[in-house]
Amino acid sequence: MTFRYTMIGAAIFIFIFYFVLLASLLFSASLKGFWESLLHPSTLFSIRLSLIAATIATLLAVAIGLPSAYALSRFEFRGKRIVDTFLEIPIIMSPIALGASFLVFFNTPIGETIQRKGIFFVFEFPGILLAQFATIAGLATRLMKASLDEISPRYEAVARSLGSSSWQAFYRVTLPLSFRGLLASVILSWAKAAGEFGATVTLAGAMPGKTETMPVAIFTALASANIEKAIVLILILVFLGLVALYAVRFTGKIYRYD
Amino acid sequence: MIKIEGLTILLGSFHLKDFRIEIAEGEFHFLLGPTGSGKTLILESIIGLHKPKKGKIWIGEKEVQTLPPEQREISYVPQDLALFPHLSVKENILYGIRAKNHSLKTYEEYVGSLVQVMKVEHLLERYPANLSGGEKKRVALLRALAPKPKLLLLDEPLSGLDPSIKFEIQQLLKTLHTSFHPTVLCVSHDFEEAYLLGDKMTIFIDGKVEQVGKRDDVFLKPRSKYVAYFLGLKNLYRGKVLTKEDMDRRWILGINGLRFSVPASAWEGQAEIGKEMDLYIRPEEVMILREGKSVKESLKRNIFEGEILDITNRGRHHTVLFQTIEGRIPFEISIPNYAFRNLDLSVGKSVKVALRDESLWVME
Repeated sequence: MTFRYTMIGAAIFIFIFYFVLLASLLFSASLKGFWESLLHPSTLFSIRLSLIAATIATLLAVAIGLPSAYALSRFEFRGKRIVDTFLEIPIIMSPIALGASFLVFFNTPIGETIQRKGIFFVFEFPGILLAQFATIAGLATRLMKASLDEISPRYEAVARSLGSSSWQAFYRVTLPLSFRGLLASVILSWAKAAGEFGATVTLAGAMPGKTETMPVAIFTALASANIEKAIVLILILVFLGLVALYAVRFTGKIYRYD
Repeated sequence: MIKIEGLTILLGSFHLKDFRIEIAEGEFHFLLGPTGSGKTLILESIIGLHKPKKGKIWIGEKEVQTLPPEQREISYVPQDLALFPHLSVKENILYGIRAKNHSLKTYEEYVGSLVQVMKVEHLLERYPANLSGGEKKRVALLRALAPKPKLLLLDEPLSGLDPSIKFEIQQLLKTLHTSFHPTVLCVSHDFEEAYLLGDKMTIFIDGKVEQVGKRDDVFLKPRSKYVAYFLGLKNLYRGKVLTKEDMDRRWILGINGLRFSVPASAWEGQAEIGKEMDLYIRPEEVMILREGKSVKESLKRNIFEGEILDITNRGRHHTVLFQTIEGRIPFEISIPNYAFRNLDLSVGKSVKVALRDESLWVME
């Protein structure tokens, strides 16, 4: 029984550890200050900006990540292992290093050409998208690949022998079968994008009313000793994260075929 | 007619060279080989999932090796069945017809009769997760046959089933074939399965076609000892042609000092004196002689004296392990239960056995 209690004890410790952390936020905030900070235009702007940017960045990551995940899951091709390894780049590189790399890139001839063509990334909204995309694209691809790996390629083989083209077999069979995992990947990627700070602040800066996403706003609020605002934004981020995690578990219950 | 010629597949460590097979329309053809011999890979190449190095595949008059799988009109039932779990049984069955944009009305009568023969009427609204193993097999077969393919490929259709369900699916496959006459290429490692269902079979061992023929031809006349081993045949002995007699209609094969008189019809080739051959004695065609009972003249050529070493009751028949006194050649004899009871056999008993001409087969 000592073994059992040790293991369960460790799990309870993790729960208490995070619970105390979140409870301390609630303890430190007054209700009046909370509403004032929440309804402040700059707070509402940060929330809106974060939701929009995270959603667009996630859509972009899925648009490129899903076909990439499929290719890595189903096909053998030269350089596959290198591509697969590069998916971990956002994990092994710190977000600030990722943002700094973009700043360096936009000072190269190619980067300057892109900016000259009218798409400005540095200290602009597209910079937020790029920073969030860079942070989650690898993760989204890795998670979606894991979902596709779970689906036997034989389903597609049978679908094709029955008359479906490879596109039809994908959207009639593979996509519905892996939908649960894919949706969970999308939700987790979105939550990760919404909470992204390092790369965003480095590339897009912390300009109030322009590039100040929620995590950036938390940082600036703390820097200016506006604790109420920081707590409000932290709680909203935590709330969004918990909703996302619950949604992941909920999709798991709906789309089960076994 | 389905024809595959010169199919060459190089995939990892698997090498297949110049594989050929011909399947007549409406034929149930078995591709038999040991597990891991690459049979599934051949099926997948026929469907178009792997690109062979070279080779041609004809479905009727149409050459299909360059076509994508969806244009080949070949249906496939893999070993794991791969029923679509997100679709009901009905949707699974209609998948092929819908995928090809065919009118469901045109197929209504045909699919209806398939549903009836396969006895799945009560399962149509269910999902695969709620079906038993046997029901899943039936639905998978039905789904494959529904779009009227020109060729149906089955990968080990009876594997992983309980004996009673296996028998049921065997009967269904038989009924299906008799009622709808699909052209079938079925991959299996189980000769018994092939013998019960197949019209013709191709024995495929170590990347090579060892024998093609009707089921009885393969079973009764294996062309090589590899085929014989694969079929699980016992009583194989290496011998040498000593002489010919009866105007070359019989040969004398010497094994361990014993002389076996073998009819020329027991081999498809020409025997030369001194040539080494493998003799196969069919266990079910050997007679144990009763003491004092007269023996037909034709049986007197191959009578041997020996001792019973072992007796095994196999339920439906008995297997007697007999060893000749001269030459000490052991061989198995298979005896029906009623004959066993009449013969009063026991271990250690001395008996005489006679080999019918039908019990002998010679391979190079």
